Amino acid sequence: MAANNPSVFLLTVNGQIEGANFPEYDSLYCKYCYVYGHDWAPTTGLEEGITQITCKSSHSNKLIWNFPLETTFKSTNPSGWPQLVVSVYGPDVFGNDVVRGYGATHIPFTPGQHTRTIPMFVPEPTWRLQKFTGWLLGRRPEYTDPKVVAQGEGREVTRVRSQGFVTVSFHIMTKDMRKMGYDTGSSTIKSVTSDWSTEEQPFL
Amino acid sequence: MSYVVVKENCCDMAELHIIGQIVGASGFPQNSLFCKWGVHTGGAWRLLSGLKEGQTQVDIPQTGDMAYWSHPIDLHYATKGLQGWPKFHLQVWHQDSFGRCQLYGYGYCHVPSNPGHHRISCVTWRPLGSWQEQLAQIFVGGGPQLRSPDLIYNGADRYRLQTEAMGTVELELGVIMRHFDKYGVES
Repeated sequence: MAANNPSVFLLTVNGQIEGANFPEYDSLYCKYCYVYGHDWAPTTGLEEGITQITCKSSHSNKLIWNFPLETTFKSTNPSGWPQLVVSVYGPDVFGNDVVRGYGATHIPFTPGQHTRTIPMFVPEPTWRLQKFTGWLLGRRPEYTDPKVVAQGEGREVTRVRSQGFVTVSFHIMTKDMRKMGYDTGSSTIKSVTSDWSTEEQPFL
Repeated sequence: MSYVVVKENCCDMAELHIIGQIVGASGFPQNSLFCKWGVHTGGAWRLLSGLKEGQTQVDIPQTGDMAYWSHPIDLHYATKGLQGWPKFHLQVWHQDSFGRCQLYGYGYCHVPSNPGHHRISCVTWRPLGSWQEQLAQIFVGGGPQLRSPDLIYNGADRYRLQTEAMGTVELELGVIMRHFDKYGVES
């Protein structure tokens, strides 16, 4: 019977883009999208979205979006596991919308709750003159397609500057992975937080 | 190019997925860093999909000491044996504002052998030259490098090599194992 020998497994992602930690910037919004391999397809939920614009308040330095993520994927193969690609934008001195950071993280695969702190980086112009004219005209270097951030190829020649973090929390459920023979480790109920940043810890 | 995409029916072989990223590095003398990485396995392992070597971008952090690369890793191996379990070998390099590159450290770490999410701190080291070379290194950079990168993950030939400690590379590796229990492997 097909139920005993499934060929497809499901991954359900429930979570939120909690917020960001950018010491130098304010009034930011975030765009997200999923990048996945050929064997994967989303079944329900939105594949991309855009959050509200958030500002730091007078009594707190936090930038909070609290933006919901609810998507389900199906696949035959864990290769090409989906990644969440996040890009943050904000106004510069002259009011133009410029990119403040790109980042990506793999969706966790162990069922349970997970928190990820994603470092955000921007491409750096190589010449000082280009940096100055970019600042003046509001035209910073940007990626034509933010999904490039989820790939490893072609990064050898790029220079970037990391300047902030975005915190995302996930609640993961999978269906039929064990029946197909995949062992993804034990479920975890404590949150796994990346604590490598030496700056102020976001939201802890 | 070591990019292989093979979709075969490997239901009699055990499979291993390594899904994660090379997060970044810290503890090095300067910040503008990139990393050349590769995965080495034994003869019984076959790479089904994914890139098993690469080079990260150069990151210049705005604040703080840690350089972030977030370089994605997505590898799919099939194997007939446990020997030659995959290991990452890393070379951390520094690129200055003129585009010159200098070696900052070698390091290696095994891919974890139990399924789940893992955070790994990989320590690195750099060969130490004579005192004249060290003095020159302070002024013009450079310094001795290994002739063959095999020595990074191979312990056979390290006798009498003098090295100094450098910073750490952080990796986030997720491991999914398939059919290992059919062969009686406990992990």
